[in-house]
Parts: sequence; structure tokens; C-alpha cells
Amino acid sequence: MKKDAIGDSLSRVDGRLKVTGGAKYSGEYKVPNLTYGVLVSATIASGTVTALDTRSAERAPGVLAVITPFNAPKVPGYQAGAERPVRGLKLFNDNKIYFNAQPIALVVADTFERATYAASLVKATYNTEPFETDFHKNIDKGVTPQKGNYKDYVRGEANAYKNAPVMVEEEYLLPTEVHNPMELHVTTAFWDGDDKVTLYTKSQGVKGSQRSIAAAFGLNPDNVQINSRFVGGAFGSSLRTWPHEIAAAQAAKLVKRPVKLTLTREQMFTQVGYRPLTIQKIGLGATADGKLIGITHESHSQTAVYEEFTEGAVNVSQFLYNSPNVNTLYKVVPLNVGVPAPMRGPGEATGSFALESALDELSYKLNLDPIELRLRNYTDTDPERNKPWSSKYLKECYQKGAEAIGWADRKAQPGTNKEGEWLVGYGIGCGAFGAYRGNAMAKIKLMADGSVNIQSATSDIGPGTGTSMVLIAADTLGIPADKITFELGNSAFPNAPTQGGSATVSSVGSAVHDVCVALKQKLYTMAGKPADSMEPIDYVAVLKQNNMPSVELTQESKGNPEAQKYSMYSFSAHFAKVHVHPLTGQVKIKKIVACVDAGKIVNHKTASSQMIGGAVGGVGMAMTEEAVFDERYGRYINGNFADYHVPVNADIQQIEAIFIDKPDPVLNPVGTKGIGEISLIGVAPALANAIYNATGKRVRELPITPDKLI
Amino acid sequence: MSTTKPCTPTDGEDNSNGTRRDFLKQTSLLTAIALTPGTVVKAAENQWDEKLAGVFEKQALHLEVNGVKHELMVEPRVTLLEVLREYLDLTGTKKGCDRGQCGACTVHVNGVRVNSCLSLALTNDGKKITTIEGLAKEEELHPMQEAFIKHDGFQCGYCTSGQIMSAVALLKEGHSGSETEIREFMSGNICRCGAYPNIVKAIQEVKGGMV
Amino acid sequence: MNQFQYTRPAETAVAVKSLAKEPNGYFLAGGTNLVDMMKMGLVVPDKLIDINRLPLKKIEKTATGMHIGALASNSEVAEHAYIKAQYPLLALAINAGASPQLRNMATVGGNLMQRTRCPYFFDTAMPCNKRTPGSGCGALEGINRMHALFGASDKCIAVNPSDMNVALAALDATIHVTGVKGPRAIKIGDFHRLPGDHPELDNTLQKGELITSVDLPTASSAYNKHVYYLKIRDRTSYAFALVSVAAALHIENNTITGARLAMGGVAHKPWRLSTAETFLKGKAVNEDNFKHAAQIAMQGAKAYEYNKFKLKLAPNAIVQSLKLATGLAS
Repeated sequence: MKKDAIGDSLSRVDGRLKVTGGAKYSGEYKVPNLTYGVLVSATIASGTVTALDTRSAERAPGVLAVITPFNAPKVPGYQAGAERPVRGLKLFNDNKIYFNAQPIALVVADTFERATYAASLVKATYNTEPFETDFHKNIDKGVTPQKGNYKDYVRGEANAYKNAPVMVEEEYLLPTEVHNPMELHVTTAFWDGDDKVTLYTKSQGVKGSQRSIAAAFGLNPDNVQINSRFVGGAFGSSLRTWPHEIAAAQAAKLVKRPVKLTLTREQMFTQVGYRPLTIQKIGLGATADGKLIGITHESHSQTAVYEEFTEGAVNVSQFLYNSPNVNTLYKVVPLNVGVPAPMRGPGEATGSFALESALDELSYKLNLDPIELRLRNYTDTDPERNKPWSSKYLKECYQKGAEAIGWADRKAQPGTNKEGEWLVGYGIGCGAFGAYRGNAMAKIKLMADGSVNIQSATSDIGPGTGTSMVLIAADTLGIPADKITFELGNSAFPNAPTQGGSATVSSVGSAVHDVCVALKQKLYTMAGKPADSMEPIDYVAVLKQNNMPSVELTQESKGNPEAQKYSMYSFSAHFAKVHVHPLTGQVKIKKIVACVDAGKIVNHKTASSQMIGGAVGGVGMAMTEEAVFDERYGRYINGNFADYHVPVNADIQQIEAIFIDKPDPVLNPVGTKGIGEISLIGVAPALANAIYNATGKRVRELPITPDKLI
Repeated sequence: MSTTKPCTPTDGEDNSNGTRRDFLKQTSLLTAIALTPGTVVKAAENQWDEKLAGVFEKQALHLEVNGVKHELMVEPRVTLLEVLREYLDLTGTKKGCDRGQCGACTVHVNGVRVNSCLSLALTNDGKKITTIEGLAKEEELHPMQEAFIKHDGFQCGYCTSGQIMSAVALLKEGHSGSETEIREFMSGNICRCGAYPNIVKAIQEVKGGMV
Repeated sequence: MNQFQYTRPAETAVAVKSLAKEPNGYFLAGGTNLVDMMKMGLVVPDKLIDINRLPLKKIEKTATGMHIGALASNSEVAEHAYIKAQYPLLALAINAGASPQLRNMATVGGNLMQRTRCPYFFDTAMPCNKRTPGSGCGALEGINRMHALFGASDKCIAVNPSDMNVALAALDATIHVTGVKGPRAIKIGDFHRLPGDHPELDNTLQKGELITSVDLPTASSAYNKHVYYLKIRDRTSYAFALVSVAAALHIENNTITGARLAMGGVAHKPWRLSTAETFLKGKAVNEDNFKHAAQIAMQGAKAYEYNKFKLKLAPNAIVQSLKLATGLAS
């Protein structure tokens, strides 16, 4: 029997480094001659900066440079007609202001304190222009995105819900939510001559960062080295290269010294994306016995005037339930705001809040148990694409989750279930997220002592990528996990996709699996045995016999062409039990059950943590998080951790993760489907629905703060 | 960074960096000179400015960090967090907000947990600081570190140092009587990955002496 | 943060003299508020006088009640056995605020001096009469969800953010201060100000005065059996109050013989509910009386665009805190 195998519960391979403070994040490398960069932000939402008085800043002790739109060295990728143009905000390339808090200068000094102080001395003169940040006022200016598949969708008849015997028609609002990983976004950049640059930067994709930095500075990608071994959370905020990363490299080139540029927590609200404010209208129509006749889902969300951001907010309504008539509309409203970015469960988390809330409302109108309603509209094939699912065990999720939350104790009539003064409620929220697989490569090296090293240019923003990869390799090679090291976060390693879309284990895990199989076959061949032999061999002995100190090979792993025939998704059912105080509006989330069909689970320990973490993220989305603008200034009033409330320990009681744990037969050789996103999708509606069940108060505007429940 | 001999006493009144006034007068003189064009003068000014600022605006700081004594010269505005991370290269202590709103920078000062980002380094002159790097004894991890690994009390690991420093202090403070109490008294440490239930389990295990 | 002079005197008299000489000087205690404000550019001092080594840490029982040195940390006060036994309301209120780390740093004197959390105060790009007199009140027509119901002016509608202060108000604390003109005592009710035309002034301390202690009267220690500090906030912990209520009752034979009530998150100062206290005196312990008291307490409340919910949440919180203090709810 194997010592370590897929499906085990392995402690993190980098756990010791993380609990001893030994794990180095991007701002923590000791680089000789280091300098510090601090950004100065605009205080207007639209217009131009006409002058910057930088004299005092430049004269302040320790200051090496003040980079502004008026003196910034040109970034080739920002220029018109650039061979490889950089998308998005072109920082310091001109003096235009698109949103409040847009950086207008970068101060570089020999210490952090001196740079910070000098930044406060920079004085700007503006030419202010009218701006629009009020989403509600501008919703009519929404446009259908030109790129991507966001055209209006109709299956059967549009707005069929209006003619149904029972219908729900409501609007749901999701406020702006900010990723806010604990680690501040930080980049340390330094040059070797004029054409080689190294960045230690917070990145979910070192290869992507390498391409972007190379494009920005017109370099050969091989001359750009990106390191991002430890990433202190990201949740989507490090999927792309941001302007401040380019600015750090630009500054390092100018001062000819390494520059470390760290965003402040306040800047984290405006410079590195967010889940956009979204208003969704849902129409549901059903027969009296709860069969859906029509679903209409219309979504408007905010984007930036200088760059369009889109996400699949209405997709879930097209395939999750069986309905002959479905129409969706997706529009974005360009405003004087920073550009959004995909945030954990992008699109689907937003969409499922609206759809699953509306479905809950429908269940009360039908006087039908919410699970029963979902069962009556269950679909065994993808109704949108008319394809079979590669695997789908959502029914099992309903059943196991219901059991674990104690659904039998739920009372259908809101306000009737009490414990002391507290009203008790139960809710369900479901979701799906596409299961993806990208092309990935891995390099493996077997050493004479039997140890194995694997490298791939993937990232680990927290899920425990290295740990899962070690387990896959241990299982495939049949050797103990502690013999294997997995290295990531280095652009010099073999190509791997950016860590996003819950696809890392599917993509990189396949590469690791395949490279291990290839190594095994090579060793069997070297040992003179058939490559597919099941008979165990001693790898060390094989090396010795062949007089080789090590053996190394690289393998690329590509998707299964069969996959085209299927619709592939992870599915989840989240359940919540809440207590609500009728006088004070306080909510205690007694328990959350996250039941998920995500294919085969590689490492139960880290997978459970990820599910629990996603649920906590969902608690934030449902109960506490909202970035608030003062529309008079187009400026956030709560861009900090005291006033923007991410959940704290006391907000969380019991969270149970349950896995169906059946391998998907199509997507990849390991059988996984991905859990990073699905862990959050469905949590917010489960909580909103539980609160309704407790109180009879339907909150359609998140977050559900006490004021909305009294 | 280099360790420098202290040159100015810090206790008592007005004898610390009182010469700064004179320094400021000198710098305005230098500034006046700088108005005269000429690269030579400008370069001289830059250098002078640097040197004067360096000498007159720093004060001596004595710290014992994880049992190691340090003598440093720091500007009064430098926080304990920056001294640990940028001057002593003890980067285990994290910066998550720099405003006392997240707990990632939690260290022990004379055995008491504090947010090092809101504590001026000089306030801690002569005190004993314990950071995450000082918790393990050589190769042997502190039971709380072991328990965090065992119960997977973290994901990205960035808040972990602060969580563990808080958790160790919590047990000493005597607020680990119930799950509810642990949660409340661990609420000054935000974990965006959402490892809270596992953190509570780790603390309960150490409290129970099961590690 | 700018450069500033830093001194760390060992004697109170030296500290006071030192500040008197420095028009733009500040006392530095726990630093949890001051250092934060300096980072945000709200305070740009020429000099900091670090008072942490002054002998003002003592917590002791006295002939007239309880003496709490101004430099005692919030945790030390909340954990003090005698305070927990005789003035539990104070311990409860302190533990409802901030985080354990911040309470370890923050001092009693500093907590009294804690400035508002109004977002307009904290952002130098926005108007705020408290930060920059004459610049206008950003909150008046802005996002005023966290703002005052009582005692505000058209210059400022900010609230005092402290939990400790609410308990001190209910417990009739006296603030002892010293300055170049000598020591004096200020009743807690006279310590914090209403904004009026001078919102830049949070309290009645004179320039250069230093808080040396907070004293609690023996009489307040009789209110140690029926006590509750209820704080309603946007997350379960580590958040400022939407509304908080400190309630301590003296009860004999199911009759309220004395009540001490104060609210937080509703005014520029901790808001003592004297009229409700008077009403409750001699009344039976029941929810109807609590509701009536809450109604009385809310007289004169004025809400703004985004904090109208407080007109309902505040009286509800008063009722609930009284129920919790008296065991009618748990």
C-alpha cells in the first residue's frame, strides 16, 4: 500500500516555513541598495493634473526621485502603436485623471518613512472635469460589452416568466467588494543593465507577469525574471500585472537601484480591482407545482471609463435549472472608478446571489420546500449547450448538506422557529463554476538518493498547490511525499497557466501526473521492463545500474479532446443556520455546511480549509462587506480595515465541508474539477435565505447589516 | 543594517534631539545656497542634507529581540514594525494595514501582545520583543506552531505570524475558556483566507496540552 | 509621517513643562490613535513627549472609590479583579472595544482623548470642521450612517467612538488632570464637549494639561449586580458601535432603586440617559417600563439621511440592554 496517495490528508509541505516566519513574500527579500517607492494619489475623480509641485519632496532627506506624468521616462508598451501594447491604465504616461485616488506621482527614497513623508509634500494642481461615479444615476448608460460572449441570450421565449401562474420579479444589489488579501500588493524591481529586469512581485501567474513586463518595456521575455514564491492571498487581485508593478520597474530603471513599492491598505481599495457593484433583475415564472416556465436575468455592473471589465454574472441562469424559456442581458456601466478585477467566484457568485435568492422567494410563493423546488427543476444535461455533464452530483449535495445542517428542523413559516428570543432560520444556496484545464508543463528530476524535485511556473496564493502536487507525484510515482519537493512561483520554470478559475490542480496537477508517468516509463525502460508494468521497481537501483547521477525530463500536458463533448462544472450546495435577534438585528451564523461536487479531492486537509475559507468569504459578502462611495467626491469613505468589514474570528462559528469526492471521468487524469471558486458561490444566498426563514425579512441589498433587520 | 553606538541619551528632558533646531537653521542656509545654480553646489547640498539629516534626526534605540540585543539609530517616526522588518530583516512579522486594523504585525513586548505598526520604535527602548522567529527553540517548534500545522490554521500564511503570536498570548491571558471566548479574543487578527475554525481548533488543542 | 522631536521624560512635572513650551507638541501614550492619525497626516507634530514612563499606571482602591492611573492600559483595567467585581460595567465596555492587542497598548487617558472615527475627519482630501476648522462638515450632507442623533451642530455631527467612555459616563467618573497651573478635577460629563461652533475641540482640557487619573466613586460600585454593555455593530467584534448601551441597575425586591444608563455611538460625547434613569427609579423590572424609559431617552433625537435606522435601533438597544442586565433576556 502506498504511503501517500491522492485522497489523503497531508499537512502543508510549506507549513513549517509559514508558522516560523520563514516564508518570504515579495516584499521581504533582502536586496542590496534597496530603495522605497510610495505612490501619491489624486484627490479628484476626473480631469487633468496641470502641475505638480515636487520641490519640497525632492529636497526632503533621502529622496532619490519623484516620478510624475511630466518627467516619467517613457514606457514603450504605453505608447501609441506599441508592438505589444499594455492594456489598462498607463500610469504617468499622460496627465489625465480617470478616477479618484489614481496615482499621480511616485516618490523614491532611501527609507520607507522618508518616501512616505516626501509623498505627503507633493502638491497637485488640477483642472477638474465633471465626473460620474453614481451607479444608480447612470445605470441607463449601461452598454453591452463588445468583447467576449456577453450578447443578449434567449432560449425559447423572452420574459416568459411574466405569463406564468406563479412568478417572482425582484431586484438584487451587490455592493462593491474588495479582495483585500492580507498581504499588501508589493513589487521589488531591479535591473541588470538596460535590458534585463527582475521582479519580486505579488502574482498569481509568473508567466503572465513576465509577458506583461516584457511587453511594457519592450524586452525579450527571457530577460524578465519574475519571482513570486509565497503570495499572501490574492483572490483574483493578482491575476494581471497592475500599473504600480510597471511603475516600480520604471523607477528602478531611473534611480539605478532596486525599488520596493508597497501599496497602502487604502490604495488596495483603488489600485488592484474589486468585485463590481451590480444590480440584477430576476424574473422567475413557474407552474403551480413548481416547474420553472421562464427565467429572466438582467445584470448591470460598474466598470471603468478607461477599461472595460466583464464577468459572467448571468451565466448561471442559463444552465443551472431546467427551464424551457430563458433570457439574459448583461451590461456594464462605465464610471470614473478604478477598473474591477475577477474576485473569487467571479460572475457566478454575483449571479447566484440573485438567482438563488429569487428561487427562495419563489419557494415561499409556491409553499414548497426550497430543496424540493430545486429537485423539480433539476437537469441531467446542460440545457444551454445541449451537452451531457462530464459529471454532476448536485442532488447528492442537496441531500448530504440538508442532513448535516439539520434541514428537518427547519420551519417553513418564517418567524415561527425560536430559541429564547432568537429567531432561527435555515437557508440553501447553490452554485456552479466551470471546470477548466489549461496546458501546463512540469520538469521532474530524480536524484541518486531517491529524492524527486518537480518544477512548474505555477503559483500558490494559499490553497496549498505545492502540497497537492507533492501528493499527486507521490501517488503516481509510488514514493513517500517527504521524498518530493515541488517548486513554483518562478518564471524560469516550465510554463504553467495563471492560478485562477479553480484550474490549477486540473492543469498543473495533470502536468505533474503526466511527467511522473513519463519518468516512471523511462525508468522502467531503463530497467528493461515493459513501460506499463505494474511490478514495483527500485528507482535508485535503476539509476545506479545505469550509472546515472540523476534523470530529468520535462513534459507538457494538454487537455483531453473528448472534453469538447461535455459541459464541465463543479457544483455546490451551501446551507446556513442562523439566529437573528428581532430587536437588535444581530445575526449569529450558527453553522454553514458546504457540500460540493468538485470531482476527486486530492488533499482533504487543504481542500477542507479552502471550502471553509470560501464560506468565510461568503459571510463577508453576505453580512459585512461594502465599499462605500461618497458620490460628491467619487471617493471611498471606508477604504480601510476598520470601516470595511471583512469577517473576524467572532463572526464564524461552525463550518463543515463535505465532498462528494467522485472523480470526473473527462477533464483530467486525476479526476478533479476545482474548488477555489465554488467554495464561495452560493454562500451569500444561503445566508440571505436563512435570514428570511428566520425573520420574514427579505434583504435584497447586501450586506445584511443589523439596520436592515430591525 | 548597521548597528551603531548610541550617541544621545533618550531619558530625561530635551537632551535627545534638541539640536534639531540648529540643524534646521543650517538647512535653510543650505537651501539658500542651493538656489544658486551650479551642479557642484547642488551635489554638495544633497550630500550635506543627507548627512546632517542622518545624524541629527536619529536617536539611539536599544532592543532585545528574541534574546538578541540590538543597538540602533532610528528616526523617532520609525515604528517597531519597520525596525523589525526593514532594519533587522525579521520579516516574519507582517504588515497588513499599518494602522492597527488587522493584527498581522502582532508581536510580544515584554510578554504582552501588541500591534507593532502603531508603536513607535523608541517607545520600546530597552524592552524585550518576541517575534514569530523567536518562538521555536532551535528545531523544536512551539506547540502552537505545531498545532497550526496539524489543524491547517492558515492558507496563504500571511496573517499566520500574527495569529500565532496572538494565540500564544491568549493562553497566557486566560481568555481561552470557551470557543466563544477564543473567537472573541482572537478577533484582532484578520485572516482573509478564512482559517478561523482551524485556528480555534489549534488553540483548543494547545490549551488541552494535547500536542 | 513628518520628522519630529521625541523626548521621554520620567517625571510628570517635566512632561507638563515640556509640552507647555511646545505649541505643536503632543503627549504620546499608547499611540493607538495618535500614531494612526500621524500616519494619515491628521496630526503633524513638531514634538512628541512620550509619557509612557511616567508613574501614572497604578490601579488601586481608595477611601472614595477607585483610582485608575491614566497610563494603566485598557487591558489592565478590564482584567483588574476589584474592577471586575465592583465596576463590571467598565470591564465589559472596555472589552467590547477594539482588539486585545490594541487594548494592551491603549491607555485610559488616551482612550478618553480618542478622536472621532468620522471618515471625513480621517481623509484630508475631504472637508471636516473638526480637522480643519472652516472647511465644512463632510458628513452633514454625506454618508452619515455612523453619525450622531443627539447634541450635534451644523458644524459637526461626529460621534465619540469610545466604549470605555460610555461606561465612565454611567459610573460618574472624575478625570484628574494637571497642568502648568496645577491640578484640577473634571467630572466625566463636563470632560467631553458637544461640537457647537468649535468641533475641533473634543474636550475641555486646557492646552498643556495632562490626564493623570480617572477616579470612580464608591457609590457606583453598588451597581455591580445588574449590568450589561450592549454593543451593536456591523460585525461581531473589532468594529465601532452603531449604537451601544451601558446599563447598570440597582434592584431591590424587583423594584429599580437606581439606574445608570449611557449610550455610545449617538453623540459627540458619551450620552448619559438621565431622564430615563429618573423614570426608572422606583419602577418595577419589566419590559414595558424599559420601553417607556427608552422612549424618554430618545426625546430630542435627530437623524440624518443615512442614520435614521438609529432612531429605532437605539431604543431597541436600550430595552435589550436593560433586559439583559436584569435577566429578562439572556
